[in-house]
Amino acid sequence: MESVVLTGEEARGEAVIEACKQGDRDAFRRLFERHKDRVYSVALYFFGGDEATASDVTQQVFLKLFTRIRQFQGEAEFTTWLYRLTTNLCVDEQRKRRRVQQFGEGFELSEPRGRRAQEESLARSEVAHSVKRAVAALKPKLRVVMLLKYFEEMSYEEIADVLGLSKGTVASRLNRGHKALARKLGHLRGALLREEREG
Amino acid sequence: MFARHYKKHLSAYAHGALAPEEAARVAAHLAACAACRAEFEEVKLGIRLAESLPSVAAPAGLWEGIEAALARESNRERERAPQAKTLFPSRRRALTAAFATVLVALVAGGAWLYLRAQRPGWEVARVEGAPRVASSRIDERGRLRVGEWLETDSASRAEIAVANIGEVEVEPNTRVRLVETRLTEHRLELERGTLHARIWAPPRLFFVNTPSAVAADLGCAYTLEVDDKGRGLLHVTSGYVALETEARESIVPAGAACMTEPGAGPGTPFFEDAPEPFVEALARLDFEHDRASLDAVLAGARVKDTLTLWHLLPRVGVEERARVYERLAALAPPPDGVTREGVIGLDRPMLDAWKTNLEGNWLGESTPAIRRVWRNLWR
Repeated sequence: MESVVLTGEEARGEAVIEACKQGDRDAFRRLFERHKDRVYSVALYFFGGDEATASDVTQQVFLKLFTRIRQFQGEAEFTTWLYRLTTNLCVDEQRKRRRVQQFGEGFELSEPRGRRAQEESLARSEVAHSVKRAVAALKPKLRVVMLLKYFEEMSYEEIADVLGLSKGTVASRLNRGHKALARKLGHLRGALLREEREG
Repeated sequence: MFARHYKKHLSAYAHGALAPEEAARVAAHLAACAACRAEFEEVKLGIRLAESLPSVAAPAGLWEGIEAALARESNRERERAPQAKTLFPSRRRALTAAFATVLVALVAGGAWLYLRAQRPGWEVARVEGAPRVASSRIDERGRLRVGEWLETDSASRAEIAVANIGEVEVEPNTRVRLVETRLTEHRLELERGTLHARIWAPPRLFFVNTPSAVAADLGCAYTLEVDDKGRGLLHVTSGYVALETEARESIVPAGAACMTEPGAGPGTPFFEDAPEPFVEALARLDFEHDRASLDAVLAGARVKDTLTLWHLLPRVGVEERARVYERLAALAPPPDGVTREGVIGLDRPMLDAWKTNLEGNWLGESTPAIRRVWRNLWR
């Protein structure tokens, strides 16, 4: 099957999805490459740094995406559809694993392997490392909205659409998430300001 | 003191996710409210921390796993295709029936959840402690839906926004349920505890059920207490409240109070600054049927206590009613057209005409005497 000729970001996105619907494996790969890091990041933080689970969930997300892509009618934004799938799979997986692993205080995030050099520098940052741990300790319903907001840069409306919540509930959960981070990591205010000054 | 804080809106405000007019309200409030400013600083710190979360690259090799799984799935599809035709029809029917059953259950469950979520409700704000709505703790704000209970413990207080017609403060150790909220009727049930209601709607839109009477708002502010045995005390601070059962109604103006008791319904209203012997005698008359107490009530009545005497007229026997009439007429003579015979015969238009004439006397200031009497009698 011929690959799609791409012109412009939007047309390229639509064309890739159309090609995927036709069973084009190259288009599948292209879609995967475009979204894999963000899907993996959401899953990794959702599961408190568990790389194996995050990899497993990421694969499940794309497998489901590819097997169901013919159902995608375009009435929902593709990213909304994708992250609804991602969060649903995270929640499902969490239910399965609840008896094995509890989230919460003291849970240590292992360092991700990808982009080792970049990650090592980030890991050295006290702020980033502490925020990872604090996010991992948030309640799942707060953690999900935080991840969609800060990894996907979604608007309140988009998050509400993905999670099937009201915009007010999204706002409330983000508010609680922000306050929880601030209360837990208030001692990092100075370090954060220093990092911001140093760019 | 602010009527409303904006603590739950601060993240949306920081993210520019509020409508312009709402954002302007939050900005104005932040300029004036130190507590919300402190909370906003906290939210901004949380946002800066969250923004420092690094994105993580997916590990290599994921695609190969996906591709292999896709290939396996394609093979399975090919193998399954001919087998599907050989399934026994009965088994297929059983599978179809099972699927349909599951589907119906899912649809019914989903519909129930949807309808539950769609039930109208009122906003509840935590004032202090940990109030609970439907057995779940609320944070700064929550929603009380029709059928749900709001409960406060000894350290909790909450405030309910009554649709767009008023507000109710809920004191500690209170259990209150939202019974109904619609255009023509808003109704709470107070099982026990204390609430303060301020209503600015037309009369008879807001009601509170208690175990011994219904409080119907007639445009007012009031406090309603119910003890563990279902006995109540209404204290009106402005306007009028009607305390009702099917058999009896007491109209309680500002500065007056009224006790209620299960089985007996609302007692006779009285002004809170009435002497304690008067109030005690009235309570015995109302709830212990102690006819001898009428003497003390008549003897202790002042001009403004015509409120009490007027309410007593239909509640006592004919012989006693004549005595009440005499005392009432001595304190405030009946207007033209209202006769002794008509009042003794409980002529409704005459009773109403006299009430209208008496209402000018019913402007009084409250004192805490009644509270002491009530507690001594019933606590």
